[in-house]
Amino acid sequence: MQDEESLVRRAQQRDQGAFAQLYEEYFDKIYRYVVLRIGNETEAEDVTQQVFLNTLQSISSFRWKGAPFSAWLFRIAHNQVVDYLRKKTRQATESLDESLIISKSDPQLVVEKKLDIEQLMLATKRLTKAQQEVIALRFVSELSTTQVAKAMGKSEGAVKALQHSAIVALRKVLSVG
Amino acid sequence: MKKSRDFNDILDECLERLVKGGTIEECLASYPDLAAELEPLLQTAVAVRQASVIQPHPDFRAKARYQFHSALQAMESKKSRSFFGWQRRWVTAVTVVFVLLLAGGGTVAAASNSMPDNPLYPVKLATEQVQLILTPSDIGKARLCLRLADRRVAEIVYIANKNKPEQVENVIQRLDNHLVMIASLISGQRKDGSILMVPSEQAGVDNDVHIQANGRVNLRIMIASYAINHPAALRAALEKSPDSVKPALRRAIAISVAGYEKALMALD
Repeated sequence: MQDEESLVRRAQQRDQGAFAQLYEEYFDKIYRYVVLRIGNETEAEDVTQQVFLNTLQSISSFRWKGAPFSAWLFRIAHNQVVDYLRKKTRQATESLDESLIISKSDPQLVVEKKLDIEQLMLATKRLTKAQQEVIALRFVSELSTTQVAKAMGKSEGAVKALQHSAIVALRKVLSVG
Repeated sequence: MKKSRDFNDILDECLERLVKGGTIEECLASYPDLAAELEPLLQTAVAVRQASVIQPHPDFRAKARYQFHSALQAMESKKSRSFFGWQRRWVTAVTVVFVLLLAGGGTVAAASNSMPDNPLYPVKLATEQVQLILTPSDIGKARLCLRLADRRVAEIVYIANKNKPEQVENVIQRLDNHLVMIASLISGQRKDGSILMVPSEQAGVDNDVHIQANGRVNLRIMIASYAINHPAALRAALEKSPDSVKPALRRAIAISVAGYEKALMALD
């Protein structure tokens, strides 16, 4: 992808080609983030679409002030997810099949058995909101630590500590079930 | 505290290495003293990454892309509805008409059946643009776009058979533009609260309800028919086409399915 800053500036001037490039670059990442955060692939589709429509409407308000475009975009996704979860607090967790929880006592077996997305969605629900956020941004959407820090409004050190605690917690959930 | 912070840095470095294609073993070899602590965490991180590599369903991807481009077009058309926008479009139309007149009626007629690999094809596209600009009502434009979409599908089938992937992509883009415009025109009409009628239908004020229903029904029939026929024609082409154009044809099918569905939804 060409220089993201110039691409974003062109998109702000309603350059359709630039918008299309940004869309293609981030579509899968945002979708995966939303799937993991809300735990429902079908409803994640609606939320993902809304994220990009919101981006389209508000891109003129984006300013380059040290934070990358990705951080801003994932903030929009985060807000959309929070909004969704607020409306469907209970439904979001009930939609997951509780039987999917892994009940292996050996963590080694868990990773060897190959975790699937449903199991992962269920397991992450047992983490704190901040841990869920860092897992989704860092491992699912594959943002760098710097980008995650900007998106979450935390220092890089805090994000590193959070990702450590998140992996430990996730491993514990997967092993206990 | 210091030790913990160092460990977090090392863990982060190893995770970054994994993202870039490194292995757990390589990382453990770099930090043998921390291997026992690092290994289970890195295994979990790898498992999470592998589990989360999910792809959006192709239908959803096509629909979402379509909706995004529709929104983009809608914003664009709002801008271009300004006085200067209209003025520019009319200047373009007049210029193109002038050029076409110079080229001669015979050229225009000959171009009307040309395919994308024909030198006269740009004349055909220019003629279509003029028709579109000079069509006064949105409903008329929507009908014209449907006919143009029909032409584009025929061109895609033809050019795919000739094994010209680049030209297939160009025509698919035009098909997408037509379909986006159809839904946008229908949605625009409904948002304005105006009635979907052709100009001749607008004369019969007494029969407004009946005429409005007829206009909408005719448009729906046309769209519903193409919604079946166009993907079917493209699927048939897909079976016979060379491998190099198959990805483009699959995209064309997804675009046509999503495009017509969107148009029908806009009519509801």
